Amino acid sequence: MAPRISALTLTVVTLLGGVPLAAADDALGKDLKATIALQGMTCDQLVESKRNADSDYTASCKDGNRYHIYVNAQGRVIVQKL
Amino acid sequence: MHRLAIAGFLLVLSVSGCAWMKGTATSEGRRDAQVVPVPPNAAPQTTPPPASTPATPTSTLPAEAGSSTDNGSERSSTPARASDAAQPPPPATPPPPTTPPPPATPPPPVDPANRSSSAKARSTGDTRPAKVAGAAAAQTLQSVSSPAPLPPSSSAPAPSSTPNASPTLNLADLEQRLRETRAIGVFTKLSLKNQVDDLLNAFRELYRGPDKHPSAELRQRYDLLLLKVLTLLQDGDPPLAAAISSSREAIWSILADPDKFAKI
Repeated sequence: MAPRISALTLTVVTLLGGVPLAAADDALGKDLKATIALQGMTCDQLVESKRNADSDYTASCKDGNRYHIYVNAQGRVIVQKL
Repeated sequence: MHRLAIAGFLLVLSVSGCAWMKGTATSEGRRDAQVVPVPPNAAPQTTPPPASTPATPTSTLPAEAGSSTDNGSERSSTPARASDAAQPPPPATPPPPTTPPPPATPPPPVDPANRSSSAKARSTGDTRPAKVAGAAAAQTLQSVSSPAPLPPSSSAPAPSSTPNASPTLNLADLEQRLRETRAIGVFTKLSLKNQVDDLLNAFRELYRGPDKHPSAELRQRYDLLLLKVLTLLQDGDPPLAAAISSSREAIWSILADPDKFAKI
């Protein structure tokens, strides 16, 4: 009985915790994609984003483009094509 | 026996006859009681129809007449009967011609926007005299005449408020709303802020020079930046996008004026 309850609890926790995480990832993806577009660069669909540090990401697009997005010391958002 | 039967029959006849006479007398008395106040009522009751009929040429009154008639028929059937009973004294109809005041109501049709309000006022005004006694005739006349001045007063502020809403600009409020909106991510907000700062720096450079007139290129940059902001906001925060869009020229007027720009 105890293993069943623990499994159920684990499943619920995973589901409840996974949804916000997915939403956060989605929001971050939209944010990065909009940032890339604002800099005049192309990204049809963001397929992967890797966090390097605070305010520092590497984004991979479906069309093969990869970008380094970060905030420099002057507080400017920089999008570098890799 | 026959005498008794005949006497009993006569008694029954007399009793029933008295009862019938009493009933008719009371009903007549009621009619009289209704008719007496009716003459004053007859004027307003009979007047609305003429008022509606002459005004019907306009497209507004059909609905109003229908509503008033519907209300009258639904709400009180007795008044209608009273009016029917009052019709016999059509000699009292001479007042109707004196009720041209209702024709004064045509002004409302001029205001299509306030058609409903005036219609309601009229319908209530029409139903009231039907319900209330003749003493309310004066009130109905006042209510009928009052709606005419009311609509203009109510119509005036409405259009004035809508145009005022668009040109008003509250930069601080817009900035705060931009900061707090969740339609744009942090990176995007920071990127937009960078571009806004770049544009403001371009204006500062311009106003340091001799030529104080912003070039077409600056206007193009401004339009492009605003377009980016609107694109980002239009799905996630439509009200803010609308507010910014409506403030486009107001913001530009501040940017393009060195004095106003210096006060930012």
